[in-house]
Amino acid sequence: MRHGASNRGSSLRHHGTASRASFSRVTSLISTRNLTHSYGDIKALDGVTLEVPRGKIGLVGANGAGKTTLIRNLLGMLRPAAGHMEVLGMPVSRESLDIRSLVGYMPEGNCLPLDQTAADFVGYAAELAGLPTDAARRRSSEILFLVGLHEERFRYLGDFSTGMFQRVKLAQAIVHDPEVAFLDEPASGLDPEGREHMLDLIRRLGDFGISVVFSSHILSDIEETCDWVVMLDGGRVIRSGPIGDLGIAESLTVEVLGDPEPAARWMTERGATVTFAGATLDVRTAGEDVFTLVRDALVATNLGVRRLSQRAVTLEEAFIREAQEEEGHD
Amino acid sequence: MTDRPAEAVIVDRGYRHFEGIRKGRRGAIGAVVRDGLRRVLGLRRKGRRKILPWSLITMALISVAVLSALHYAANRVGVTDLVADELPHHREYFEFISRVALLFIALATPELLVPDREQGVLAVYLSRPLRTIDYLAAKATALGILILGFFLIPQTIFHLLLGLFSPDGFTTYMLDHIDVLWQVPATSLIYFVGYASIALIIATLIPRVGFAAGIFLGVMIMFNALSGFFVEFADFAGSEYGALLAFESHPHLIRDWIFGASTSGYPMTRAGFEPWVALVTIVAIAAVAVGMAWNRYRRLS
Repeated sequence: MRHGASNRGSSLRHHGTASRASFSRVTSLISTRNLTHSYGDIKALDGVTLEVPRGKIGLVGANGAGKTTLIRNLLGMLRPAAGHMEVLGMPVSRESLDIRSLVGYMPEGNCLPLDQTAADFVGYAAELAGLPTDAARRRSSEILFLVGLHEERFRYLGDFSTGMFQRVKLAQAIVHDPEVAFLDEPASGLDPEGREHMLDLIRRLGDFGISVVFSSHILSDIEETCDWVVMLDGGRVIRSGPIGDLGIAESLTVEVLGDPEPAARWMTERGATVTFAGATLDVRTAGEDVFTLVRDALVATNLGVRRLSQRAVTLEEAFIREAQEEEGHD
Repeated sequence: MTDRPAEAVIVDRGYRHFEGIRKGRRGAIGAVVRDGLRRVLGLRRKGRRKILPWSLITMALISVAVLSALHYAANRVGVTDLVADELPHHREYFEFISRVALLFIALATPELLVPDREQGVLAVYLSRPLRTIDYLAAKATALGILILGFFLIPQTIFHLLLGLFSPDGFTTYMLDHIDVLWQVPATSLIYFVGYASIALIIATLIPRVGFAAGIFLGVMIMFNALSGFFVEFADFAGSEYGALLAFESHPHLIRDWIFGASTSGYPMTRAGFEPWVALVTIVAIAAVAVGMAWNRYRRLS
């Protein structure tokens, strides 16, 4: 259990809605049932039902898929037309203020006042989450160091580059040591170096015990960072599960000397997905090392190798496949 | 001399969880109030942001110093009571300082609301343990502290100096002028509500601080002139109600009512209304302003 939990317990008691013991037992990060949200005639969320554990959660979908609307509903910033939501085991409809004490939010758009220094604003963001002034200043300095802006902390935000801006936005979202940080398109507008730095920071949040809900329409970012993925398309969940279960796997193409069928059967019996045409096998595994499996299969069936090449099935392919299957169901 | 290490060492401080107390919603509201005060006064901002507010504050304090010096000089040369009564007192100081306060309110009200809305900072507020009503109440509290402080601090200094310079002695002066203790706060409150309500309506609608300040000053000047036109020149049934548009002069009328001075000469009294009608108008405008702000921010959030 994280050290911070004891304080959170007292904070929750302060609001009089939950006890430390009940909070610490909660393992589910997000739980929704038939969540629906509309903007006029447009349904942004359409019967979203989810059960998401703690960890690094990727929220993927095209622009307009409903990612931001889902996050804002979970924070209690928007009121759904129908459905039930819980964050950290607390119902959003009744305990949104308690939830907001425990979460951080990095909006997609600008959220920084240009006439303040990074240190002042991040400290203020900590005070807004209820931290005392002295502690807020100390945390501001520590978090700006963490995101790589320690040297620039006394510069005015109006003088910052896009990359620095994004890092300050992340800093304000985590300065109060939240249980979970909702990051809406945190890498948008960044150059490759800035993007890599941001993804690295997000990965580190998980190491610190902070759960992350990270929305992006860039699937490779989610693939590199998260261990659970929620796919949204047109306001509906098309898939939610561990990233390893979504068919994102190592794939190997092997051209063998001889009949490939025995080797294909051998590997299929051990859980691999194998297709073959002529002497060429396409082998895909979910968990097991694909090289080891192919080596063992070739040894067992006494086949030689003419050519071998590796390829990864990306989250993008998985997303397209899931979206097509969803359309097929409709 | 101690030996220094040959090479510097980079230490990763890592991440430390926060283990102190959290103040929750009350702490968040307090933070918004404190930030509002700093924002308007230009504290922790670039130097040029301090020029306007502190110039106006300096003007308010210098005028108190000048008035107090006048009273001091009059007491030293021993002027008659008749002449002493003609010297500017609290009511007259309000007459001057209310014009400066109009500028201060034009600066402060949009500064408190517009940047948060236009720079997207509202998203940060609304992701914290704050309700929309908490945010608005905290901003109104900050504005109230600033505006009431702008009126009350110089008036308090003025009152204490008048007491100190009085030939009758400090205690006697204070006892003789005990009415000031309610007249000044009541008048300050009327000026705050009367002017800040209009500024709040404008700051809720206009997306730029400078535009909002300019429009506020324009509304106050133009509507006063317009009400004067209705009262003096318009000749249709109900034209006297045009006097209600004299937003800038309503607080002056109430001030004179509170201090027991003549209330003639204002658009409202020239149109045949009693001073309490101006008071009701101010309260009604304040209610409209609060309703508009609540409605706008509820939709934004």
